[in-house]
Amino acid sequence: MSGPCDGVEPPRSFRLRVSAAFMAGAAALVACQTVPPDPQAALIAKGRDLFFNETFAGNGRTCGSCHRELENFAISPAFIATLPKDDPLFVAEFVPALKQNFENPRLMREFGLILENLDGFDDLANKFTMRGVPHVLALRTSVASPQGPRTGWSGDGAPADGSLRSFAVGAVIQHFTKTLNRVAGVDFRLPTDPELDALEAFQLSLGRQADLALPLPLKGTVAKRGQEIFLNNGLGKCNVCHGNAGANLAPGNNANFNTGVEDLPDQPARLTGERIPRDDGFGIPGDGTFNTPPLVEAADTGPFFHNNAIETIEGAVAFYNGQAFNNSPSGRFLASSDPNGVGIRLDGTQVVAVAAFLRVINALENIRQSIELLQQAEALGFFETAPAQALLGRAASETGDSIAVLSGGGLHPDAVAALGDAKRLTERAARSLFNRRGLAREAIQAQERARVQLMEVRK
Amino acid sequence: MRSLLSGLGMALGLLCASSHAHGQKATEQYIPIGQSPGVSQKYSSIGEVAGVNPAAQTVTIADPAGPRTVRITEKTRIWLDRTKIKQTNVPGRFADLQKGRRVEVKYADPERRDVAEWVKVEIGQP
Repeated sequence: MSGPCDGVEPPRSFRLRVSAAFMAGAAALVACQTVPPDPQAALIAKGRDLFFNETFAGNGRTCGSCHRELENFAISPAFIATLPKDDPLFVAEFVPALKQNFENPRLMREFGLILENLDGFDDLANKFTMRGVPHVLALRTSVASPQGPRTGWSGDGAPADGSLRSFAVGAVIQHFTKTLNRVAGVDFRLPTDPELDALEAFQLSLGRQADLALPLPLKGTVAKRGQEIFLNNGLGKCNVCHGNAGANLAPGNNANFNTGVEDLPDQPARLTGERIPRDDGFGIPGDGTFNTPPLVEAADTGPFFHNNAIETIEGAVAFYNGQAFNNSPSGRFLASSDPNGVGIRLDGTQVVAVAAFLRVINALENIRQSIELLQQAEALGFFETAPAQALLGRAASETGDSIAVLSGGGLHPDAVAALGDAKRLTERAARSLFNRRGLAREAIQAQERARVQLMEVRK
Repeated sequence: MRSLLSGLGMALGLLCASSHAHGQKATEQYIPIGQSPGVSQKYSSIGEVAGVNPAAQTVTIADPAGPRTVRITEKTRIWLDRTKIKQTNVPGRFADLQKGRRVEVKYADPERRDVAEWVKVEIGQP
């Protein structure tokens, strides 16, 4: 049978024939596995390396210091508690030049809050905000707006042209500096143009590359009802701003709103008595608006809102029932266009149903990502152990998230069991010397079994 | 229901339209002249100050494409770029726009190029 790499002459003697066949086979294997280099893949790989390893000659932090891959590119207080004392995240605790006005270690450790000088650096003791770390998944779907790119919690996270590409420049200046002088070339170095290109490519490669098309053919009774409420513009009204559970009013139209989060009573971080100025959101001075984040990734990326004010996805949905939202410009607007003058009013069961819907679509996205990672690991050659183990580790982490997201809401125990199988198979694949690909294939099948429990899947 | 949705969407679009996206200006202070990604020499001019008119609050830049006069308004931010002398960049004033100093001017309106959104003034040896 002729293969894609023909042209090997048969040897005369049997021994020579076997030997030559082996050599030719090996050569053909190598030759046939060689694929032309993919420039975009190389750029993304370079961006990944920069994101997790490049300190830009600063205080030791990288982008990955806050945007942890195993934390869905965010960071939670629970994860922070597992870090060693000398982790660069804690530079304010051990670098004398950064002890004052760089971070608030208590609020970082207890609530995962990071200090930002969004309104300027002229009064560091009094002009700052405390914000959570937003995940950077599905950025391809959420940055574009008719008014220009929107990045960060308030949509204005990047200096210069405000683009995702420029975001790293502002992040280095704000978070990577060795001293509060923030002198380029002394306290840090600024990313070069090729580095900005690579970082942007990497970030755009993360997570979903397109929005969902709701409604999905969900199977779970409560999640199905949650989807109905979500899409009902006379009841949940969620889809008005979070179109298709994404971040947009319409494709390419990400927007900012004042939803009254800053007016929440009993915000956990403020209960500590630590000084936290009001966060004025977009612009200098701010207009009180914040950027709409995507919801598909919400359930496993809490705490929620720009100030990590709410811990659970149920609490985040319930926020829209409260006075803070309904008295806000956005809540009043919804009320003004409602025949009964109601902003958003959901009962407890309805709050839980919407949250169940968000949990299920998050788990479906985790399953999609897990399968993608498992397929990538399966495609790697026998000797590519390290990259395969890295991919399998990420797949196992994603699968752990889907288990936590579903079981946290008491949802789909059958799917949770299948995902448990998938996680065990994935971890075994990562350890296996000879059956990595077979176990990865089995893990994919288990993921698919779980997915079928969550929604109708067309063959 | 679909028309209600599109109506709400359009109205919300108008509600949020006042928030014009712009770069987070705060960290801009620390970016040296010529290094603002996507801005430097695209939406800005870099050159020496060729003239200053305090009465009109204008400054003329010797842009390679020809002299360009821009207005400094109360919204214009002026920063002293002291990177070359390894000192922190600080806010400046109109009086810092002195003839012969190298500056970068970002235009508030990239089409009209008549008003400065910000100006960075390079400070060399003291």
